[in-house]
Amino acid sequence: MSQRNERLRQSDVIHWLIHHAAHRAPESLSSRLEEEWLADVESRSSAWSRLRFALGCCWATMVIVSEYPRSRVPAASSAAAARGFITLADRNFGYFSLRSGTLFLIAGLHAVLFYVLITTLSHTHGLATPPNLQNYPVNPVAPEKVPPPPAMEMKGWTIDVQKLVVDVPPKIDVEDDAPRQVVEKSPEPYSPSLPPETPIHVVQQVGGGPGAGFPETADFYPSLSIHLGEEGISTVRVCVDAKGRLTSEPTTVKGSGNARLDEGALKLARAGSGHYRATTEDGQPVNSCYAFGVRFQLKK
Amino acid sequence: MGKKDGNVRMSLQTLRVLEVFLENPTERFAGAEVHQRCGIASGTLYPILLRLESAGWFTSQWESIDPSSLGRPRRRLYRLTSAGLRRASEVFASFNRGVLA
Repeated sequence: MSQRNERLRQSDVIHWLIHHAAHRAPESLSSRLEEEWLADVESRSSAWSRLRFALGCCWATMVIVSEYPRSRVPAASSAAAARGFITLADRNFGYFSLRSGTLFLIAGLHAVLFYVLITTLSHTHGLATPPNLQNYPVNPVAPEKVPPPPAMEMKGWTIDVQKLVVDVPPKIDVEDDAPRQVVEKSPEPYSPSLPPETPIHVVQQVGGGPGAGFPETADFYPSLSIHLGEEGISTVRVCVDAKGRLTSEPTTVKGSGNARLDEGALKLARAGSGHYRATTEDGQPVNSCYAFGVRFQLKK
Repeated sequence: MGKKDGNVRMSLQTLRVLEVFLENPTERFAGAEVHQRCGIASGTLYPILLRLESAGWFTSQWESIDPSSLGRPRRRLYRLTSAGLRRASEVFASFNRGVLA
């Protein structure tokens, strides 16, 4: 119940602010602005957001009053006579326009802050002086020798720590229009740790890329870019699984120089999930990451 | 507010408002929607909307709904005029790409 009362009270304050702001506006706009602002404030979810909106309306009124032609605001001029600041703004007395008044106000606040800062610092100057410090050589401390951890034994059980083996998929970068190439791993140099009889396996790897059913670039050409004649190539990096689906969010590797086109390329890359051709190793599709270019070009 | 010859002072905020309308030139937006799309505060947004409307770039009209049935007041909806679309496109074309990014 108390929360409801609180909400009603906040709503009253916000409505009062909007009503007050709208009635300071030129008469021809007053009722329209009030209805418009009361409708728009309903879309704000939080009380804080509504309050900011209402305060913004007060500011908007000041700007509107200062900009509105005097011939169109007869009511505003007479009403403004009682409101010192707006009156000065409307009459545009040289230095006392709305804009310059705001500027003086801000400059004055800065001056006060500066004065307070200076006076506070001068009082604390003695306290802030650092004591005389001298440097003494310090004998280096020998690092403590830590004995190797004993084998973990618990009631006759021994835990063997096994080596962790991690398979890291190869990183492949493929351009969209580049011909698919077969990458053969060159035989590694002789390693004494490998037994001599280990056969050298040559992995036949075919890079992935946009596959069948991949969306058309034209469908993701930003309408504003088409309107403005913007063109470019955006290089996008994607990580796909063996079924050609995205495994992570696509990223822009090399931008086109235009944020709208880059965003369009990312949307295209997202929409293409499930239509990528997976990279294959020895004919088996594997998870991989690669980059491809998206060319946004208008038809001549 | 704005001037009748169609000239409007171009600030960054004005460009951001225009960009919202240029992305959907035929759509109508309430001030609240424009705020959601470009994040400009109400104190700056409404003077810009009125300035552009007064200059003939925008036209506005009340939403044609029944407030009692929808349970909310009707909104004022703004839309680019054909002259506004042309002028806004000219303004954007005169800027280098990526200015607003």
